[in-house]
Amino acid sequence: MRTHARRTIAGAAIAAFALIAAACGSGDDGGAIEGPTITIGSANFSENALVAEIYAQALEAEGYQVERKLNIGSREIYAPALEAGELDLIPEYIGTMLTYLGGTASPDSAETHAALQVAWESAGIDVLDYAPAQDKNGFVVTKATADELGLTKVSDLAAHNGTLVLGGPPECPEREFCLKGLEDVYGLSFTEFRPLDVGGPITVAALEGDEIQVGLLFTSDGTIIAKDFVLLEDDKALQPAENLAPAVRAEIIEAYGDKFAETLQQVSSKLTTPELTAMNKFVGIDGKDPEAVAAEWLKAIGVTE
Amino acid sequence: MVDEEGGGMIEFFGEVAAWFGDSANWFGTSGILNRLREHIQITAAATAVSTIMAIPPAVWLAHRRIGGTLVVAVVNIGRAIPSFAIVVLFLPISIRLGLGIGFWPTFLALLFLAIPPMFTNAYTGVAGVDPDLVEASRGMGMTDREVLLKVETPMASPVILAAVRVAAVQVVATATLGALVGWGGLGRFIVDGFAVRDSVVVFAGALLVASLAIVTEVALGAVERRVVPSTLRSRSEHVESIVA
Amino acid sequence: MQAAGGFFSWEWVVNHLDDIWDRTVQHLLLTAIAVGVGVVISLALSIIALRFRWTYAPITWFTGILYTIPSLALFAFLVPVTGLSVLTAEIGLVSYTLLILIRNMVAGIDGVPPATVESARGMGYTGRGLFFAVELPLALPVIIAGVRIASVTTIGLVTITALIGQGGLGFFILRGLNLFYSPIGTTQIIVGTVVSVALAVAVDLALVGVERLATPWSTRRAAA
Repeated sequence: MRTHARRTIAGAAIAAFALIAAACGSGDDGGAIEGPTITIGSANFSENALVAEIYAQALEAEGYQVERKLNIGSREIYAPALEAGELDLIPEYIGTMLTYLGGTASPDSAETHAALQVAWESAGIDVLDYAPAQDKNGFVVTKATADELGLTKVSDLAAHNGTLVLGGPPECPEREFCLKGLEDVYGLSFTEFRPLDVGGPITVAALEGDEIQVGLLFTSDGTIIAKDFVLLEDDKALQPAENLAPAVRAEIIEAYGDKFAETLQQVSSKLTTPELTAMNKFVGIDGKDPEAVAAEWLKAIGVTE
Repeated sequence: MVDEEGGGMIEFFGEVAAWFGDSANWFGTSGILNRLREHIQITAAATAVSTIMAIPPAVWLAHRRIGGTLVVAVVNIGRAIPSFAIVVLFLPISIRLGLGIGFWPTFLALLFLAIPPMFTNAYTGVAGVDPDLVEASRGMGMTDREVLLKVETPMASPVILAAVRVAAVQVVATATLGALVGWGGLGRFIVDGFAVRDSVVVFAGALLVASLAIVTEVALGAVERRVVPSTLRSRSEHVESIVA
Repeated sequence: MQAAGGFFSWEWVVNHLDDIWDRTVQHLLLTAIAVGVGVVISLALSIIALRFRWTYAPITWFTGILYTIPSLALFAFLVPVTGLSVLTAEIGLVSYTLLILIRNMVAGIDGVPPATVESARGMGYTGRGLFFAVELPLALPVIIAGVRIASVTTIGLVTITALIGQGGLGFFILRGLNLFYSPIGTTQIIVGTVVSVALAVAVDLALVGVERLATPWSTRRAAA
């Protein structure tokens, strides 16, 4: 009786031990990385949301816990949110961000990036390595308008001061790289400024319907090619370097260390302007899903499989 | 944006007052006067067109006692449709129709949202006229048309006028959303203010919109009281509206 | 323009069922909190209005003004004070429920037949007991009718909170606005709209069910 009981108990103990060992050894959490959830935010236009999505998926593939808060709003809304800790990472454009913080941006990417890092440090934000991809403000007219008025460069618009309507994002009149700069640097004046959207479909529709003659679109926007618009050359170099770079809260970098920055750098280094423009076209024109486009690209560059 | 209690708030209201005091904010295409004009014009137009399109059919159908169940269904579904969604939906529709951005998507959305409640209110008003009264009129020898024009419509007028008033206020509210689809109007201050996080402009815009809505409610209410005989006033209490 | 000329992409819907679900849940939560808080506040105000009749007019006047203020404006008033938060959204949403709830609560209680109240008093019910055990249950059909209207209205308004960073299903509508040249954009607008309406209809029906369960003695149906 006793021997039998001991064997049964021993057997049960061995079985239990085996089960526990199996559970421990299986590594079922798939290499999930312990640490604070990374909240990734973006501005309220599709390119920024797309790049944010790319970073999010790249981090998730490495095992980080990611939460997305995309399409938040303009810089005045998401930048304070980042500094306050409501967001942990946003993809930023180095030139405009530096100016927003009170610095002076130049067409030199390295210089602008270094200056931005310094400017944002005190708020506890690290700006990681920048991508080759740039997305600047571009002033665009329809082909018909360009032909009719003989426009190839922004300074050509001066000959038509007071006759054209400019359309762009609501914050345009106050931005150095938008209407304010056009007035100060190029000496332009428009009959009216129409607040539309941030280089999005409403601006495109307004250009097509001739409700505005000059519109602000982004230089990496696939629509420009798709709609046969003319991107006016920035001959007085109003636009500074606008490379994309991930702005991350220093606390997150501290929590995760170098490997985190490396993961993002791997992605950023492969993001060029043509790649970005192509992806923008897939999403904005061809109607592909941003999540799918991001996933496909990450696979293509070898970050995920 | 408001740093501390008391002092911060007073300072903020001071800034709002200063914004209104700055004459530059009143004139020009993006000034208060122009936006107010745009807003009032679209409200008047949308309310007028909705009235013409909704009321006569409603009155006629109610007179014939046709379509009662449809009316109930429309009321329930109509309340459930988010006005924000309709304004946004009409943007691609308007573009595909070649009508462009801004005014037309806003105007069409306003019609879409105002006509159903106006229709159901007018219908309910006429259908709610005391059947004995209608019987008696017929008994007195009135023709069908006379009953409609001389009995049912006047008796239903409080409800119909209330319906117009409610629709006008709703249109003022929904027109605020037109700023999202490239239109102007008073919503511009709120939307643009949000975009640059200028809470003074946002607040000022909200004041303007709220004031216009309240003024519209009060003004049309006063007109109603003038026109509707006191004996019929209690009928106009439960008129449907959509909050926008 | 999109080659196929389509405006709806089932593929997107299928790929985003979990997103749609999450947003629907968020939408319902925002609604539930707003209507819940609205009911509590309205109940308190209604009791005051019933007890002190002269307060009914000012209360309806004030909640009427809140109701008249366009929702975007109301949220705009709140943002400088309470930020782009759930609180801002909820304060706004609650405000729009008050007028209809208070009106229906007061009308409901007033509508309880005096004879019934008398009998209850005769049986020994007084004051708070009379109110909570007799009048309130009998007023339930009219009150729930008010809750139905408040809920459906709130579900529509929650979409607007997307503009202040919240949104539930309004998120899809706003996103679609940024992408409407692509079928993905128009799909999102349609999905946001249709699911929101479906949600409103479902909640409405559910509340009708609640009313039937809560008032088994009632053979009369309350007017909507």
